[in-house]
Amino acid sequence: MARPKMRTIAALGSIAFIAAACGSSSATSATGSCVPPKTPVITFAAYSTPREVYGKIIPAFQAKWKGDHKGQSVIFQESYGGSTSQAQNVVSGFQADVVALSLAPDVDIITKAGLITHEWTSAPGGGMVSSSVVVFDVRPGNPKHLQDWNDLTQAGLRILTPDPAQSGGARWNIVAAYGAATRGKVSGVSASDARAQTMLQGIFTNVKALDKSARDSIKNFESGNGDVAITYENEVFTAQKAGLPDEMVIPPSTVLIQNPVAVVDKYAKAHCVQDVANAFVDYLHGQHAKDLYTKVGFLRPIDQAAAAQGDGDKFAPIRDLFTVEDLGGWNQIDQKVFGPNGVFTNAYKASHG
Amino acid sequence: MSAGIQTEAIRPSQGVSRPTPTGSAAGLGRLGLRGIALLYLGLMVLLPLTAVVVKGFGDGLAALRSALAAPGAVAAIRLTLLSSLGTAIINGVLGTLLAYVLVRFRFPGRGLLSGIVDLPFAIPTLVTGVMLVALYGPSSPVGRVLGRHGIHIVFAPLGILLALLFVTLPLVVRTVEPVLLELDPAEEDAARVLGAGAWTTFRRVVLPAIRPAIAAGALLTFARALGEFGAVVIVSGNLTGQTLTAPVFIFQLTSQFRPEQAAAVATLLFAISFVLVLVTERLVNRREEAR
Repeated sequence: MARPKMRTIAALGSIAFIAAACGSSSATSATGSCVPPKTPVITFAAYSTPREVYGKIIPAFQAKWKGDHKGQSVIFQESYGGSTSQAQNVVSGFQADVVALSLAPDVDIITKAGLITHEWTSAPGGGMVSSSVVVFDVRPGNPKHLQDWNDLTQAGLRILTPDPAQSGGARWNIVAAYGAATRGKVSGVSASDARAQTMLQGIFTNVKALDKSARDSIKNFESGNGDVAITYENEVFTAQKAGLPDEMVIPPSTVLIQNPVAVVDKYAKAHCVQDVANAFVDYLHGQHAKDLYTKVGFLRPIDQAAAAQGDGDKFAPIRDLFTVEDLGGWNQIDQKVFGPNGVFTNAYKASHG
Repeated sequence: MSAGIQTEAIRPSQGVSRPTPTGSAAGLGRLGLRGIALLYLGLMVLLPLTAVVVKGFGDGLAALRSALAAPGAVAAIRLTLLSSLGTAIINGVLGTLLAYVLVRFRFPGRGLLSGIVDLPFAIPTLVTGVMLVALYGPSSPVGRVLGRHGIHIVFAPLGILLALLFVTLPLVVRTVEPVLLELDPAEEDAARVLGAGAWTTFRRVVLPAIRPAIAAGALLTFARALGEFGAVVIVSGNLTGQTLTAPVFIFQLTSQFRPEQAAAVATLLFAISFVLVLVTERLVNRREEAR
């Protein structure tokens, strides 16, 4: 009869599940003094875009560590997700030893919770390991003739861009437009906060729906929605590599997106893996990792001048490439652009009545 | 999904031949109704399913093979199958108990309890995830105490199980309840009068009658758990090879511009679920016929 069989399956199932539950929950032992584990385990939380790059960098680092430490293996536990939600997970107890996020304010979320206690921006490149630029992803042949930020305000254009309230990375797009305008680098727009606000209002009048993330914007664009997606250069390259017919337009003035990495010292200390975690972050700043960021991830160098210059091949030169620091830093931008009376806040309110 | 498993009371297709309407207008009407039903089912269910299968297997097994080669793919499918199985078993047992208590016992607060059973369906699953993190998260008071004893819930497989149990709780209760209501309590009284204990009464009188409903409910639970995304993506931490579940893995594939691979894994999942439905249906029906 079927009954005993069903019972066996049920019992086996629950045993296997409980075994699985116990197996992976014994990683932490934060009691008393710190004894380095024989086989260190690094939990690594990253935003989703550079997943393929880390698929190459991590094995390379593991091999190097093994060679330098008498054959000691390092185990990596990897988690990929939205940058801001990864940061929030770390704050609510996801014990990542190293984080690689899309923008500095997400690292600050972890710092503010007291989990990163060292000055992470004093690392080479200010703690940044890769960069990209905000660009326009357009239909083949650029039928709407989009060249500059002001072209995005033309009546009837359909624009895709993520929601800055949901996607930390979405703020890069707004900062790019705002910065280009206030620096006086958008043709037909004089340099002032007021004119920047008018331009942003014109752009966001053409934004009918805000996507969850930059990737969702591109996915949406692929399904045939919209005339242009405001997104990042590496995203367009990735889409093109996947065989999609997108074309890229780099506006004359745009922002350099910089992606940070940091050791979460509180957790690394608790797991007694600070030395491996620090060595890994150092490795991410090294030449081999840099090459992989460029070749596999289509990311530009972190140096502002080098990034603007391009490489004469894949990466085109950019006339006016500015950084967040050039605009006064994130704190000032948060207040001036995204604050309750900020330029974007007002522009968005006006554009959606 | 549970349509195939029916109690004897509602099995219209067997034996009884219905009188056929004689007028041609009535015949046309029936044809029209049948057409609408089939068209609706085709458009709503069959068409999207076919699209997924075609997308995933348009180039044969290439997409599936490359998807399964991705790090953590096989582990994700295993985790999803095991956690869904665990959910179906636990909610199958405790859901039946809940239904029995709700139907057979009269006590103050019974109405409220019955209302609470439906709550998991009224709450967006994403919110479920957030609630669980707030309650059991490693930095919450409860999570800290448990963590000190080496018990990790959120960002561990246990959290996935809890999320699935919560999200699917009403299914078994609500499938078993109507059958219990139909069951004449006099039968149980008779058994008791004849000297059967409470457990024997339940096992010999109640259980045989509600067994198909439990199986149907557990199956629905399994299928629903198999696809759960919102609550799981929040509580699991998505560690590749450990707490990454199949639905989250599929979502990650779509974000990597790999829709074919995503479709192939999705097809694999619902193929497993479909086979399971067929097998359970067989088992239950055979038992019914044996009785």
